Amino acid sequence: MIRIENLRKTYRAADGREVEALADIELEIGAGEVFGIIGRSGAGKSTLIRTLNLLERPDAGRVLIDGEDITHLDSEGLYALRRRVGMIFQHFNLLNAKTVADNIDWPLKATGHANAAERAARVKELLALVGLSEQGHKYPSQLSGGQKQRVGIARALANRPQILLCDEATSALDPETTQSILKLLLDINRQLGLTIVLITHEMQVIRTICDRVAVIDGGRIVEAGKVVDVFLHPQHPVTRSMVAQSDALAAASFDPAHVYMKDKLRGRLVRLTYIGDVTYQPILSRIMAGAKVQVTILQGEVSSIKDVPFGQLLLELEGGEDDIREVFAELDRHQIHHEVLQ
Amino acid sequence: MDLSVIDWGDIWLATWETLVMTGVSLFFTILLGLPLGILLFVTAKRQLLEQGLVYTVLSFVVNVLRSVPFLILLIVMIPVTVILIGTSLGVEGAIPPLVVGTAPFFARLVENVLREVDRGVIEACQAMGIRTARIIFGALLPEALPGLIAAVTVTAITLMSYAAMSGVIGGGGLGDLAIRFGYQRFQTEVMVITVALLVVLVQIIQYSGDRLVLYFTRK
Repeated sequence: MIRIENLRKTYRAADGREVEALADIELEIGAGEVFGIIGRSGAGKSTLIRTLNLLERPDAGRVLIDGEDITHLDSEGLYALRRRVGMIFQHFNLLNAKTVADNIDWPLKATGHANAAERAARVKELLALVGLSEQGHKYPSQLSGGQKQRVGIARALANRPQILLCDEATSALDPETTQSILKLLLDINRQLGLTIVLITHEMQVIRTICDRVAVIDGGRIVEAGKVVDVFLHPQHPVTRSMVAQSDALAAASFDPAHVYMKDKLRGRLVRLTYIGDVTYQPILSRIMAGAKVQVTILQGEVSSIKDVPFGQLLLELEGGEDDIREVFAELDRHQIHHEVLQ
Repeated sequence: MDLSVIDWGDIWLATWETLVMTGVSLFFTILLGLPLGILLFVTAKRQLLEQGLVYTVLSFVVNVLRSVPFLILLIVMIPVTVILIGTSLGVEGAIPPLVVGTAPFFARLVENVLREVDRGVIEACQAMGIRTARIIFGALLPEALPGLIAAVTVTAITLMSYAAMSGVIGGGGLGDLAIRFGYQRFQTEVMVITVALLVVLVQIIQYSGDRLVLYFTRK
């Protein structure tokens, strides 16, 4: 659906120095996927998402959408492309002078849908989709942040795009509203088969709705893959530190040096990670019942990423070398990943 | 103060003339200044239709016109006015210099008002695949409407005071009356009444403008 090849963008900063905003970006995003790009501020994620509808022009490289290189489109082609790619924004960017209904109608009207009755029907349908059927006559200033973003989403969907770009769409919202907007995006993704590309600096957003994630730092993709893999086995230091900041997943980037009473550890410090159905099976208890090894759970989490269940436990195992090795073999047999930390 | 010396017929006629001069010049000032202001805004750096050369030239012309003191412009414009409408006197003779004097001022106000419109909103429209002309007329101007009304209000008041000044070159209206009777014939009463009337007119314009701005503000 979307292929980014060799993308580069350089800015000239105020002091005349060249700043590399994007360097050698390679990405492939599949149809119907929710793809997240996460990075700290200034990492280049905003520039990256804006190249997908050419609000930002890359200096080099190609952006292919459905096989077509959009960086070579003429202005007519660009108008047509942008109608197929919706976008929502951190600060909503609604027209203050228009009512909610007129805001949603505006992209239809302004891109040549002449039939007013059809447009009105479409607006009504979209208002219902985002749960704002009663608010059509209001002005944006009369709405809450979450409601404004719902209008933004309805407006972006008006022209029935295949792709929705979300530029920090929940960063200005409180946690509760963020969850409701994310749920709406996920519903839309599933109902309409819409491909969603989002950028964020919040792990929680990625974890809640994304299928795959790319971590960007200093204008480069430093790590990419399925969200569960990237979160449970972060490789790059930037990813590790971002995962560590998200409390729920602290075990993934666990630093043994910080274990409470680490001086008193007698056995081996081991991290177990498991994904999928095994999460809800009593495998650990079965293994331990037969083993001559003492186990202490030091830290852990059992939860889910999007709809994939996972568990991650930090254990201290005490026992003979052979007995411990036997436990590891059993774990391997059940596809429970283990990692000896100390 | 002896109000019996005042010819009220003259006063009302002059008031009417002032209103006509202000109204007609305001119409032409908007007609010329609004497109000029829009052009200044869109051709400026990092705007919708960035055109460095066009912006520089327009901006220079506007600055030149704005740097000529209005009294001087009134005199300089006399031959041009005669060519345009046949006379440089009376109500109609005052209108061309009034328009030339205020249109650049209004254009700058328009440019500044448009700059206040949230860039993100314009960008959102671009991201929807809407054509630039449509963005300008369907989104930019409606978003800027309260600011534009405020700019028209300020311009109308400037025009009214300029219109009074045109009395110096025989322009008609309250200014003309104040100069001929109040100043040259030492009829202080006429001077006081004309100034009082101008104060009242300005208050009415400002008040109406403020009400309209409030009515159209959706923020």
